[in-house]
Amino acid sequence: MDEKVKNQNPRRTFLKQFAVGTAASVGVSLIPTKTEAKFKDTQRENETRMGVLFDATLCAGCRNCERACKVAHNFPVDDIETFRDRSVYKEYRRPSPNNYTVVNEFPPSGVATFPIDVKVQCMHCNEPACASACIVGAFTKHASGAVTWNSDMCIGCRYCMVACPFQIPTFEYDKAIQPKIQKCDLCFERTKVGKIPACVENCPVGALTYGPREELLLLAKEKIERHPDKYYHHVFGEYEVGGTSWLYVAPVEFSELKFPPVGDSPAPGVTEAIQHGIFAYFIPPLALFSWLGGVMYVNNRKNKKIENEANEGEKK
Amino acid sequence: MKSKIKFLSFIVFVLAITFTFTQCSHNDKEHSNDSDKASVLDDSFDKIDDSQSNSIEINEHGVKFDHTKMALSCKDCHSCQYPTKQKPCLINCPRKQLITVYHAPEEGPTLVEMNQIKGDYKPFMFTHKLHAQMANMTGGCQTCHHYNTTGPIQKCSNCHESDRAKVKNIHIPDLESAYHRMCLTCHREWSHSTDCQQCHLSKDQNPEEYKKSKIAKYQHKDHPPLVEPGKIVYQTKHSSGKFVTFQHEDHTKLFGLECKSCHGDDNCISCHDYWNKQTGNNTVKFKKTHKTFQQHHNPCSNCHTIQNNCGKCHKEQEVDKFNHSSTGFNLGTNHSHLQCNACHKKTGVFKGLNKNCTSCHNNFVMGKFDHKKTGLQLNEMHADFDCSSCHTNNNFAVSPVCNDCHDGYSYPAKKPGKLVKKK
Repeated sequence: MDEKVKNQNPRRTFLKQFAVGTAASVGVSLIPTKTEAKFKDTQRENETRMGVLFDATLCAGCRNCERACKVAHNFPVDDIETFRDRSVYKEYRRPSPNNYTVVNEFPPSGVATFPIDVKVQCMHCNEPACASACIVGAFTKHASGAVTWNSDMCIGCRYCMVACPFQIPTFEYDKAIQPKIQKCDLCFERTKVGKIPACVENCPVGALTYGPREELLLLAKEKIERHPDKYYHHVFGEYEVGGTSWLYVAPVEFSELKFPPVGDSPAPGVTEAIQHGIFAYFIPPLALFSWLGGVMYVNNRKNKKIENEANEGEKK
Repeated sequence: MKSKIKFLSFIVFVLAITFTFTQCSHNDKEHSNDSDKASVLDDSFDKIDDSQSNSIEINEHGVKFDHTKMALSCKDCHSCQYPTKQKPCLINCPRKQLITVYHAPEEGPTLVEMNQIKGDYKPFMFTHKLHAQMANMTGGCQTCHHYNTTGPIQKCSNCHESDRAKVKNIHIPDLESAYHRMCLTCHREWSHSTDCQQCHLSKDQNPEEYKKSKIAKYQHKDHPPLVEPGKIVYQTKHSSGKFVTFQHEDHTKLFGLECKSCHGDDNCISCHDYWNKQTGNNTVKFKKTHKTFQQHHNPCSNCHTIQNNCGKCHKEQEVDKFNHSSTGFNLGTNHSHLQCNACHKKTGVFKGLNKNCTSCHNNFVMGKFDHKKTGLQLNEMHADFDCSSCHTNNNFAVSPVCNDCHDGYSYPAKKPGKLVKKK
């Protein structure tokens, strides 16, 4: 009976102390919430960052971009005339594993007198949530702005799909062996050799413009300034989720074009602040575990003391 | 035993944390590599910052020209990198009057073969004359040939790069975009279709046959001439001053306004709502946007003072076209083609002008006036007289009577000279 009491007491104290300790370490980790996310010094990188400006007032919904994208990424491609079929616009579409980009059509509203066509693809965030969420680091944010994915590292957890504020990464559910995460790569392989992205190259009206992100922002604002009644006065992607490489201008409010209501703060901001805070310079874990060690040491010593006392009592 | 389990779980936990930590630092390393690459990328881009210079210039009429509002970069007009006021180093660029080219639509080509872009589709024949005739109603030649310099029409490809990958200044669209934007701005609204084969050849068409058929069809085809309304009556919703009569003909013929001065922003769809008429089903709803007082009166207030001047236009009933003979001075054939301000010099003041010819014509004196202009060349005898000898009281409106000087003489049996063709 005595022994049981002796055994219960240390466990209770241990649990109590553990709970207090965890709370303290979490508290410590929450202090540096201001620390930048994984991608620091955004301003400097903005100078080299490329992007694409999409002008919804120009897009005519020919879907040449969809086809060009498939060709560039070696997917099976239909005849060009099949892409002229506008019945696909009856329902809202999303990118799929073999279709990195899709165009959706919205009925005319506001100042627009004809349907508004909007291209959807990866926005290539300045601070990508997918890269942040990926537990094996299969995503890379390149200095050129492109966010790419490495099939050799992926373990198929699909965290990136959940993390993406635009729900862009898609998964090859129909493949049993080595299914891949698929998404627009801003034609990383093409731009590396000086070409422009396939969709930009094939847009007949030039609704897509490829260039340095800073320059594109100027162009977007110039468009709005020159035709103030033609555009909704906002450049989507300038500040959204901390800025994206793809920028949009449109004749109507972006919520009407099914753009998700994302805020201006980077998507991985909060989670990374907590996670990186916990492990910052390895101090919080070391502190936690050295403290735990201390607690164990003290408990052990107490136990031994009690045992010794008991032993001495028996001897006596 | 229990302490052993505790110890083992502690080890596993520490290992897991160490792994995650190294993963993070691995990512950071990759990232720093990327920024090295970026500096290389950076060098390969031409920085286009000279288009941002903000120069507002005021011309001799006090009109402000904001160069940044024009789709120009400095290099479009200046040849050197740092132009100054003393050394502007202008190339052949007309600056203030950027568009000086005007031809009648018929003077331009009837059809133009568009074959400068290599792509999925074959070249097509553009009905230039028809489109020029349509544009005549709105912006004229400059609807498409914008920023044309003085002299011959510039090729689009002079400014618009034909290879998209080589575009240096992203503020100027490439040639293919420029062409398609020109077409689609109207065609999308007009036919409600973006079907490529509206213009481009379909697969089964033979390019040569297509060319021939286009030429045969459009060689002699003209856009129907534009019919100009005499006047337009607007009904306002106000109880007093309900009617506003706009004398359209007077504004174009008498005041010499060009179509584009008012219709510059009009689109084909203003006249041709082809699709809506075809289906009888207007799905395109033109949202009535609320116009401010200023916007509403803009077409008039550009020339007329509208403040405290409502009654000038807002009347209780429709107004007939102004008849000058109601003032007691019939314009006749000699004066009807004149613009109002040829005689009514004071702007806005029309009343109180002397009907006497010499109040305007200061050359109605002997020796200065060429009498041939009236259709009668005076013979030597009569040419020497002072005007008032025959035209009593310098009243030129009434023809002189021969009988006043010559008994029994009468015009036209006897003439003071010979009849000539009126000049």
